[in-house]
Amino acid sequence: MRNEKDLLQLMNAHFEPLKLEIKRKQNVSVEFKKEELIQALSFLKSHSYRHLSTISCVDWPEEGEFELVYHLFSYDDLINISLKTRIKRDPGIFQTAKEIWPVAEFYERDIHDFFGVKFKGNDNLEELILENWQEIPPMRKDFDTRKFVNDKYEWRDYNGQKHTD
Amino acid sequence: MDKNTQTEIFFGPNHPGVPGNYGINYEFEGDTVTSARANAGHLHRGFEKLMEERIWIKNTALVPRICVEEPDINEMVYAMGFEAIGEIEVPRRADYIRSIILELARIQGHIFSIGGNAAGIGQYTVMHWGTLTRDYLLDIFEEITGARVYHIYIRPGGVRQDIEDETLDKILDLMDELENERFPDLQKALFENPNAQKRWQGKAVITKEEAIEMGATGPVLRANGVPHDLRKMMPYAAYDDVEFEVPTGENGDAWDRIKIARDDMLQSIKIIRQLINKIPDGPVQADLGNGLKYKIPKGDAYVKIESKRGEYGYYMVSDGSLKPYRVHVRGASTPLGLYGVREFLPGTRIADVPVWAKSLGICPPEFDR
Amino acid sequence: MNNNFVKGSWQEILDWAQNKSINMLHYCTGCGAIELPPTMTSRYDMSRFGIGPAATPRQADLLLVTGYLSTKTLRRLIYTYEQMQAPKFVVGFGSCTINGGMYWDSYNTIKQLDKYLPVEMYIAGCMPRPEAILDGLLKLKKMIADGEADGYQRYQDNLEYYHQNQEAVLGEVQRTQ
Repeated sequence: MRNEKDLLQLMNAHFEPLKLEIKRKQNVSVEFKKEELIQALSFLKSHSYRHLSTISCVDWPEEGEFELVYHLFSYDDLINISLKTRIKRDPGIFQTAKEIWPVAEFYERDIHDFFGVKFKGNDNLEELILENWQEIPPMRKDFDTRKFVNDKYEWRDYNGQKHTD
Repeated sequence: MDKNTQTEIFFGPNHPGVPGNYGINYEFEGDTVTSARANAGHLHRGFEKLMEERIWIKNTALVPRICVEEPDINEMVYAMGFEAIGEIEVPRRADYIRSIILELARIQGHIFSIGGNAAGIGQYTVMHWGTLTRDYLLDIFEEITGARVYHIYIRPGGVRQDIEDETLDKILDLMDELENERFPDLQKALFENPNAQKRWQGKAVITKEEAIEMGATGPVLRANGVPHDLRKMMPYAAYDDVEFEVPTGENGDAWDRIKIARDDMLQSIKIIRQLINKIPDGPVQADLGNGLKYKIPKGDAYVKIESKRGEYGYYMVSDGSLKPYRVHVRGASTPLGLYGVREFLPGTRIADVPVWAKSLGICPPEFDR
Repeated sequence: MNNNFVKGSWQEILDWAQNKSINMLHYCTGCGAIELPPTMTSRYDMSRFGIGPAATPRQADLLLVTGYLSTKTLRRLIYTYEQMQAPKFVVGFGSCTINGGMYWDSYNTIKQLDKYLPVEMYIAGCMPRPEAILDGLLKLKKMIADGEADGYQRYQDNLEYYHQNQEAVLGEVQRTQ
């Protein structure tokens, strides 16, 4: 059983992480170069980090980047590790983790729906949650939901008149 | 394969057998499912976007709506994320109250889903009893928080208001009633019922390896004899102060999962009794200043807790402003509802599809969001 | 005896009969559906008012829209409504069907249900309690008995208006007829 420090040492020994951080008890976060991330995932999986909680995506338009965060957990070490990497916002393409965890296919499709990030190797780009979405992906920071709602839907008129009359 | 014997069917979203507004499109031959695909997204409201538009405190009213079965879990994870990024210490009494609320919510959720599972195999009496028993718990919630389903009670820094001693006594009385009157009835009607046993045994089996590989937790994993529970592995709130066991099964089937739900409720009763006996005095809310101006430093945190169906996690990012920069919800049944349907439903007989979907505790709003 | 009188009395008899037995479609469109099991089962017991669940749209009289509608659900709801046989009634349930409720700025939910389907009445609340649901349904029964619940006729009369609104939000909508 490793503790948080052992885990960071292990990461340092095998990879060249950009940033290592012990967030709080049982929580660690490591930032990787994008070339190393998939390797790090399969390395960790073979070192008891077998539980993939989810994949998060964060949009940073000012830096022109998307941040992908993979949350893993080990039932032996009882540590949660968040692996982060940044990719260019345009064109927004990254490698799939489908070969390591088949379930990642659906997390990636979810990210494709909401951010428009494509994953090489995960070719099923059918809409998972949204239906007939025509605009820019809705979770991007430059999508303004209030403006979109104002344009698309009508507000109820409360002046005592029924608008269906 | 002969084209004429294979049929495609849309199961849901409008069907009494699906768990909520959610569909499964499957093909079958004879009466065995050959391939299946989840048809999700009917409940998408764009929560994650809405949260970015609202200030921190306003989101406490939004988060319980993410999963209607277990609203309090969402409030708790959101509050924990806020506290983790802001490094806020919660008063001990608030921790205890939170645990009491979460355990009441767990019993409420389990009894409701046992009722739903029973309805799935035609045991409507149990469904009636389960729903009625849940209402007793909702009455307690109403007394504590003022609302039946969505409580907006657990919030960053503590809980909204204190629990009166009389209410705590009422909770203890209710726990006695559940243990001595309601659960024995349920035991006779459902768990000793050979019909139910036959309907659930050996159905919807998910092995330990499969569960870990796809990230399924909670009863699905525990039904294989693995006592993994975040309340033990990463204790939060007041769970490090109480003693309880993690119920497990052996065969990983629907029957084991439903028995785990029953045993989990008994453990929750045990936890609630210990918490009420030990609850310390003191404030229930850390002083965070004006609620409309809550600010926490830049940072991010992945927080997770054990809901009745397993790991419920939020990834939260703050940029130091009045609003969250990003909140990502990981619902407990996400892997099962999207990936599990495609991988594990084929081979099931049509009549068992509702048993399959309900016994795995699929809750569509948490992956539609 | 003139024809109108016969037709009128016959309609009254129908209305009287219809309000005694309402089959409610079991379609949980949103989170409000969680208050329906308590309403249906022993504690609040709506079957004492002659209201019960129905499994398929073709057997149902009442479409209870329990909560917010994402555009994806709205499409299914319209299909469902068009499959139902007249007389049919739509009840909007929860604040989100009235004006969007707490999802007022959500890009994926509609804001006013009555623009897309003819709503007889709304039950406000987020979410309404079982008592409120029962009260609402009793009022609906009275409306049916008095012949005021004429949503399906309004839908026929203003078909173009409704179809236009539906298509404005959903794009193309398949029609059953």
